[in-house]
Amino acid sequence: MTTQLTFDITQNPDFSLLTVQLEQGEKIFAEPAAMASMDSTIKLKAGFKGGLKKAIGRKLGGESMIVNTFTAESGPGEVTFAPGPMGDMLHYHLTGQNLYLQRGAFVAHGDGVEISGKWEGAKGFLSGEGLVLLKASGTGDVFFNSYGAILEVDVNDDYIVDTGYVVAFEDTLQYKVTVLPGLSRGGKLKSFFFGGEGLVCEFKGQGKVWVQTRCVYPFLSWVYPFRPTKSND
Amino acid sequence: MQYEILAQPAASVAQLTLGAGESVTCEVGAMISMTTGLKVETTSRSRGGKGGLLKGLKRMFSGESFFLNHFTSDAADQKVIIGSSQLGDIVHHELTGGTLIVQGGSWLASSSDIEIDTTWQGLGKAFFSGEGGFWVKCTGTGDLFLNSFGAIYEVDVADTYTVDTGHIVAFDETLKFKIGKSNKSLVGSFLGGEGLVCKFEGQGKLYCQSHNPPSFGHLLGPMLYPR
Repeated sequence: MTTQLTFDITQNPDFSLLTVQLEQGEKIFAEPAAMASMDSTIKLKAGFKGGLKKAIGRKLGGESMIVNTFTAESGPGEVTFAPGPMGDMLHYHLTGQNLYLQRGAFVAHGDGVEISGKWEGAKGFLSGEGLVLLKASGTGDVFFNSYGAILEVDVNDDYIVDTGYVVAFEDTLQYKVTVLPGLSRGGKLKSFFFGGEGLVCEFKGQGKVWVQTRCVYPFLSWVYPFRPTKSND
Repeated sequence: MQYEILAQPAASVAQLTLGAGESVTCEVGAMISMTTGLKVETTSRSRGGKGGLLKGLKRMFSGESFFLNHFTSDAADQKVIIGSSQLGDIVHHELTGGTLIVQGGSWLASSSDIEIDTTWQGLGKAFFSGEGGFWVKCTGTGDLFLNSFGAIYEVDVADTYTVDTGHIVAFDETLKFKIGKSNKSLVGSFLGGEGLVCKFEGQGKLYCQSHNPPSFGHLLGPMLYPR
């Protein structure tokens, strides 16, 4: 049985908060530590949802092996979720197709949805984002987040996204990891080494891709020089 | 070039739409995503300009990168989304033949017709402004995109105006500035936490940012493990 959840995402894009209204007996599944507050009618249970294989897939996809299950046991109730980073959160409704999520982008999903890892091999390695993407499949609601705001792009034919900025994409799109198209072959190499963009994902087909407007790594490199230096004694 | 600034104010990006043959020059690493009708060229000079090496080196001193990325469209209606790495806003400024002086690090992109150079603001000014000696000097006619740490606010300076050095994003070249004390006495200036300030004089536009990047850095730094 799958039902559509009653929810609201507020304070987006900077401090997004997801509020879900559960009817008695309804469930929502979320990554550990995402819950901000909830009614006392709601019971929380932690577990390796979907068995060990799916749990390991999630772990490799930059998520926790544990998924928390929130059930409105003793009556209807409200539960709110906020992801770790400041940023945006979006909802997607699955009807049998797959949605691919970047490492760590998963927040919560409703009944009828499974989150597992999808082996990307060398492609994942080259993209710098890890070997495994998260795959949301089934029928139901899924919520994902990112640092910064999230923009939705309708891809017609092809579109290029810097590898660090992909949040999610529909399974109707194929992608490959490549370098930016240059004016000449030599220019392409120069752009790759000095253009600061490194590798990009080139999507082909028809479908939606979600792009984040900020990345956490450049922020970390900016903070680095402000760290105190170790004394040599 | 058409533009749209999205997701304001904390995680702003600019979406630029280029017609066939149009091109835009961006800060290295600014591209987030784009359509495939755009070609990229990485050089150390303005597009078609001369004197690449020296200009590139000067630009490094200004806190920008040695290299620049030029995106050129070979089809109609090509889009590129660009953003900064810091949390903050983006502002569009239209240059009509004048010159805008931009704080190193705040320059994001400009039309390829705009000449980008670095300008030396004098040793004393550089030493005390905490921003490095070089600023980015943008001259010509076209669109200019600036990014900030925090929000951006505009000030139309009519006579004189004082800004803390870490809060300047950009200003018209028609404005003269000198570094001064915020208080009559030097001790008072530093005790007040304001240190030295920029005093602008003249008529022109000034862009300020709500937050001062070094202040935030110095707040976070001591709480982190030593490197």
